[in-house]
Parts: sequence; structure tokens; C-alpha cells
Amino acid sequence: MKEYKWKQRITIYGFVLCLVSMMVLIVISPKETVSSAERRRLAEKPELTTKNLIDKSFMDDTEKYLLDHFPFRDKLRRIKAYFAYDVLQQKENNDIYVVNGHAAKLEYPLNEASIKRLAVKMKGLRQQYFPEQTAWYAIVPDKNYFLAEQNGFPSIDYERMGTLLSQELRVDNAPDTTFRFMDIVSGLTIEDYYRTDTHWRQECILDVARCVGDMLGVGEALSFSDSQSTFIENEIKNFYGVYYGQAALPMEPDTIVYLTSEVTDAARVWSLEENMQSGKNTKTVLLPDEEGAVWKSVYQTEKLADSKSLDKYDVFVGGASSLQIIRSPKAATQKRLILFRDSYTSSLAPLLLEAYKEIVLIDLRYIDSMRIGTYVDFAEADILFLYNTSIINHSEMLK
Amino acid sequence: MLFSSITFLYLFLPFTILLYFLIPQKGRNFVLLVMSLLFYAWGEPVYVLLMLAQIVVSYVLLWLVDKFRASRAVRIFYILSVFLPFAALFYFKYFHFFMDTIFGIQTKAIALPIGISFYTFQIASYCVDVYRGRVKRQRNLVTYAAYVTLFPQLVAGPIVRYSEIEQTLTQGIDFSSFYENFKRGVVRFAVGMGKKVLIANVIGEFVTEVVALGTRNLALSWAYAIAVSLQIYFDFSGYSDMAIGLGGILGFQFPENFRYPFISRSVTEFWRRWHITLGAWFRDYVYIPMGGNRVSMPRWILNILVVWLFTGLWHGAGWNFITWGLLFAVLLVVEKGVGKLFGGKKYAANITDFAKAVIGILKQGYVIFVILVSFLIFHNDSLSGAIADIQSLFAQGNYIAHNIGSMEKAVYAYILRNRIVILCVGLIGSTPLPLWIWTKVQEWLQGYRIGDRVVCVLMDMMVLGLMVLCTAYLIDGSFNPFLYFRF
Repeated sequence: MKEYKWKQRITIYGFVLCLVSMMVLIVISPKETVSSAERRRLAEKPELTTKNLIDKSFMDDTEKYLLDHFPFRDKLRRIKAYFAYDVLQQKENNDIYVVNGHAAKLEYPLNEASIKRLAVKMKGLRQQYFPEQTAWYAIVPDKNYFLAEQNGFPSIDYERMGTLLSQELRVDNAPDTTFRFMDIVSGLTIEDYYRTDTHWRQECILDVARCVGDMLGVGEALSFSDSQSTFIENEIKNFYGVYYGQAALPMEPDTIVYLTSEVTDAARVWSLEENMQSGKNTKTVLLPDEEGAVWKSVYQTEKLADSKSLDKYDVFVGGASSLQIIRSPKAATQKRLILFRDSYTSSLAPLLLEAYKEIVLIDLRYIDSMRIGTYVDFAEADILFLYNTSIINHSEMLK
Repeated sequence: MLFSSITFLYLFLPFTILLYFLIPQKGRNFVLLVMSLLFYAWGEPVYVLLMLAQIVVSYVLLWLVDKFRASRAVRIFYILSVFLPFAALFYFKYFHFFMDTIFGIQTKAIALPIGISFYTFQIASYCVDVYRGRVKRQRNLVTYAAYVTLFPQLVAGPIVRYSEIEQTLTQGIDFSSFYENFKRGVVRFAVGMGKKVLIANVIGEFVTEVVALGTRNLALSWAYAIAVSLQIYFDFSGYSDMAIGLGGILGFQFPENFRYPFISRSVTEFWRRWHITLGAWFRDYVYIPMGGNRVSMPRWILNILVVWLFTGLWHGAGWNFITWGLLFAVLLVVEKGVGKLFGGKKYAANITDFAKAVIGILKQGYVIFVILVSFLIFHNDSLSGAIADIQSLFAQGNYIAHNIGSMEKAVYAYILRNRIVILCVGLIGSTPLPLWIWTKVQEWLQGYRIGDRVVCVLMDMMVLGLMVLCTAYLIDGSFNPFLYFRF
């Protein structure tokens, strides 16, 4: 009987000790501001006010703060991932699955309404800004295109996606049609993508850049071919992509290789966000040709040095931005290219600088399409819509 | 505050346990009251005042009941003490529904205070019990308020009657069985947490995935119906387990709320195993006062209909809940009728063992089908959604996609395959099998000299493992709703 009580006490004291220890640890443990594994800023300690107490946001924010700063957070997330994969036999964790060392995010089913919405958006833009010009479009496949079906994961019907978008845009690839399709998929493989990230590798998409150049009629101005590169390869090691943190599983980091040349070194990038000045009541923008406008290099390695960016992929033209203009003084032509794009284009655009004296990158996730006429001249420019399949399937995010 | 939250687990709970046991016995009810109010105010910073007002009003009215017990005025105070909590419940929960749906008058929706259905029932049962002399009126306002606000069972039950915890509230913790109760409480809490976080939440993800898909095939429709039932069961019974466990830790013995409802062989039995404290409340405070079953057949049917209409409405102000309640009323009446016709000894004697086994299987199948259908009604926000879900069980209705391609088939198969293990865990976990296996293992181990110690270590490891896993899931996931909070 005595021994029985002793055993009970061990459980009780152990339980209370664990809870109290964790309580003390939560209070005294140092608080990080950024999670490098998840590549995001962690929640800040909420301030207590009458307003946030009554509307309960103080309680919600406190819970978020505690979740973000819990001791051994990354280890616990890994335990959860192992339990989900190995015990519950789930094929994914947080919608991320890992096959042959490649992490990818599940994307299904095909959202036909989204494709129709994108087509309407593209036609609207054409009608408003470049009614007489031919607009090209291309689809960048996500990693599921190469991994999902053959490994038993669901994916969107890529064929149907292409057909539907083509139908909605009424594309028949005749020279006088308004929209023309550019096939950039055929040369791509899964090895052209980072293992821990969603994006493609710049050093592996020279053939894509060549294809784009050829289709737009500037191929001759490009010095590289599919197999031969004139670029210098620069490396950024220990790149943990967006899927690494979400998967919460141990994965080897990737290496970012960015390609430089005299042309890319000479080119400069103007971005809307960097040139926005806040006045007392209004915001003014320093336009590209105005004095004092901020121009930066094509590869912005300084963002890695001072940890301004949580994503090393931002080295390519500075990462996410609503509107950027890249000027290339050493380009072989005087042509201009306007790219409606997502983040995949950040690594593709520098490869086209040999052929275009100016490339305008417009990301409609961050800028209203009604506003772009203020900054962009569409006259006589080549027009290309280049979106990855995830954006096409979620076009509601385009403004 | 949710039990399955970091704020509760690693701040509120250890602090409360330390405070509760470090101060002398006579101050413990005050600690319980303060911490319970903090617990409630964390989720309802404004409506905590409503609850406090209800406690004070009912306390005063019962004081008047006691004072004027000999006079006719006593009935007025008694009626008011029961009427006012229900008036508040009606206003917050049903006013908008009745005005909009029944009278066609547009009104603004009113935010429902968390747990109002639970603490209203506790206050009402206490008032009835005091008036009828079943329990003595609690003269100490702090002790009475501690009973109503007791945080382990405040927001989601089980519905605890005053008589069930009166001894601990008035005489303090019984230290002769303290360690045993505390340990049991710890194990029960950890198991409840596991049921909620590791099973209900994960099955809930599957439910969400199927809903997001829009269409489904027959297999996925059935898996969805099973998942909905399992999610509701593990969510609610997990929360009840946590409440009972916390009660044990703090020295209280709460009544059981679930007893493997899915193994029932009739709807009558199901309701003796599902949300036991609610069923018992309606039995003791509505059904029996109306005459129970000692009345004429038509009156008995009326009694059943009224009780189950209220049971449905208790769960929510909506036609789906009314339908859900009345469905059970009809089934209970039919079961009673069938039982009277075929349940006699004369029939039982003429049935072979084989026929008995077949009947047993048929009964089980009938109950499971009824449960699946009823929870589809319960789970949906609207009746039309519930009908579409039920139709899909017969490959009919809006959710069933005809002429589906290989892509869709692959998606359906993947979603089911991806969650098949957790669904199996849920199915097995909803039966007494795991407890039976654990009992057998215990018996086997106790045959050895160090068997007891091994059992103890295994139990401790299970508790630790569950707590670590649940914490890991809470930290990584954002999917942590609690279904019964809306009641």
C-alpha cells in the first residue's frame, strides 16, 4: 500500500513539476523575433489595453505569442511531423509532402472559375493598356507537375488548365490573334527546382530564357544557349526554402546559384516600394527618371547580409514588389518587355537583360491593375504574362 | 479559454494547481472562484458580468425562498429563480431565431455567451433542488459562486449538480483518497487531451478536406459521415474527460458523461451512453415532472416529443437541431412500440441463437446508421446541407459527382487513404477495446514481481507522451476548434 502511494506521488509530482517547469521556461526563455526555419517574423507580445481586452484580441494575440515562443518549438514541430508521417501514415504534413528529397505543396483540385477569372483579367488589361499589341502568355508548372501523379498524390489537371485558359483567351496561335501561347514546360524537369523551395533554379532555366527570347523575336541578342552559359556562377549556401519550415522535417539545404555577367552588373532596378515617400497626408513616388530615385543592383545580396529579408530567394531583383523596372544599358537592342508576373520571374528576368534595354515587372498581387497605367508605358513593348500554376489556380489574389 | 491551448496548459493550470494546494483549505473555494472567473473572462471578458449577475440574483432569490418558505410568496421567488436564468438563455440563444424564423421579424443576431447553456442548467437544477429540499441552500456566496463557475466544467460540461460536489465544496478535499484521485485525474486529463487534439482535430481536418472538395463518391460520403460522428464524439467526450480529470486533480468527483455510445444496440441505450448528464437533467427536471411514462400513451408520446424538442433546441437555435431532437423522439417512440410488440418472453423463447445473432447485428447496424444520419443533421448549419449529406450516402444529391474523371477518382482515393489510419484509430478508440486490452496487459504484468512498477511506468510514459504529442500538435497546427463551445 505504501509503495502504491509512493508510485502515485511520483506521477503527481512529475506531472506538476513538468507543468511548472514549462511555465517558468515560457516566462524566462529568450524570445526570438524571427523563425529562420519557418522564414517568418514571430508574434510580438501584445500590449494590454481596455480595447483589446474587451474585443478579445489580447487573448488571441497572447495565445499566438505563446505558440510562437514556446520552448523547443522547432523540435516539437518535428515530433508532430514524424507522428503524422510515421504513426498516422499521412502522406503529407501541413499539405507538404516529400518525395525523392523534394518537398512540394499539395495543390488540387483545378479551380476552373479561377482560370476564367484570370482570362477576364488578362483580356481586360489588354483592352485597357495595349489593345493593338499581341500579348504572349506562358505557364510555369509547379513541382506537383513532376511529382504528384507518379507518386500517388492528387494534383490539378494541367492539361485541362492549359486548354481552358486557351479557350477563354480564344488562342489559336495565328499571328494576328490577340493572345499567343508560349510553351516553356517541355524542357523542364524536377531537378530544375530547389528541393526545399517552390521556385526554379536560375542556373537551370537558361533553356526557358532562350525559348522566351526566341518566341519574342529577340533570341539573337542572347549570348547563351541551352547548354552553354556565358555567365559567372555565384553561390549562396544554406538556402532553406519555404517548404522546409512547413514540412518540419530534416532536409539538406539548397544552394542558390545566381548568374552574373557584364550586362547584369550594369543593369539597375527601380521598384515602386523603394521609391515611395510618405508625406504628411499623402504618399508620393519618385519616378524612374526623377532626381533622387533609388536604383539598386539586379542581385541584391545586401538583403542577405543585414537579414532584411527572411527569404534568400529575394536576392533575385530584391524579391516581392508590386512594380519594378529593370534598365539594362548594355542590352543589344532598344526593345522593352513588360512582364505580368509572380516570383518565378525574379530569377528569369535577369537572363533576358542582354536582349531588352528595359524590363518592367508587374505583380498584380500587390498593385491594382487600374493603377499601373500611371507608371508604365505599354507602347511598342513586348508583353508577356508569365504565371505559375498555383497563381492561375488562385487568381482571386490578382488585383 | 480552451483546455487545449498553451495559455491554459502551461500558464493557467500550473499556476492554479500551485495556488489551490499551497493555501489553507478554507481559502480554496475563493481561489477556485477567482481562477474560474479569470478562466471564463479570458473567453468572455464582458459576459462574465452576466454570469456573476445571474449568480447573485439566484443567490438572493434562494435566500428569499428560505426566508419565506412558510408563506405563499415562496412560489414567486422560486419561479423567478428558475425563470430568470432561462429568460437570459432564451434572449441570447433563441430570441433572434424565433423572431426571424418563426415570426418573420428581422432582428440583429446576438452573440452567445460561452457555456450559457451549461451554467443555466446548473443554476436551474440547484434552485429546484433547494426549493424541493433535496439539497440545503448554500449560505456562503463564494462557495455557491465557486459551484456555478467551477472552471473544469463551466463551459462544456458535464452538467454537475450541486449535490454531486457539495461535500468537497463544504468540507474540503478528502485526503484519504487524494493521491489516487489526483493520479486518476492526471491520466484522465491526458487521455481527454489526446482524444481532442490527436484524434478529433485530425479527423476534423479530414472533414474539412471533404467539405472543401465540393463533390465526393459513395465511399468518401460514408467515410465523411463516419468522420463527422467520430469528430463530434472525440471532441466532446475528450473535453468531458479533461473536465473530469481536472475535477479529480482538484479533489472533485464529476459524473461520467460518455460510456462508449457507439456500441449501443438501440437509440434508447445510445442516450444512456451519450451526454449522460444532459439526458439525466432532462429526465429529472422535465420528463419526470411531466409524468414520465406513468401516463396514458398519447400523453407519454407528448412528453417524449417535448423533452426531445428541448434537447434539440438546447444544442442550438436552428431547424437542424429541432429536426435532430424530434428524430430521436420518433425513434424512441417507435423503439418502445416495437419492444412492446416483439420484446416479450413469448417471442424471445421462440428465437434460435442464430436468429438472435442476426438480430443483434441488425440492431447494431440500425443504431450506427441512425447515429451517422443524426450527426450529419447535427453537424450541418442548415437542413438543406444535411439532406444533401444524407442523400450522398445513397449516391444521390448535389455532392455526388457523376461522370467523374480519373483525376477526381485519384483525389477521392488519396484523401481517404491519407486519413485511413486516424479513422481506424477513431473507430477502435470509440469502443471499449483499448481499455479491455490495457486491463488484460495490466493483469498479465501484475503476475510478475515488478509488474506493478512496470504498469506505473507505462502509465507515466503514456501521460508524458500524450502531453508532448498534444503540445507538438497545438504548436504546429492552427486547427483547434471546439464544437461544444457554441452551446
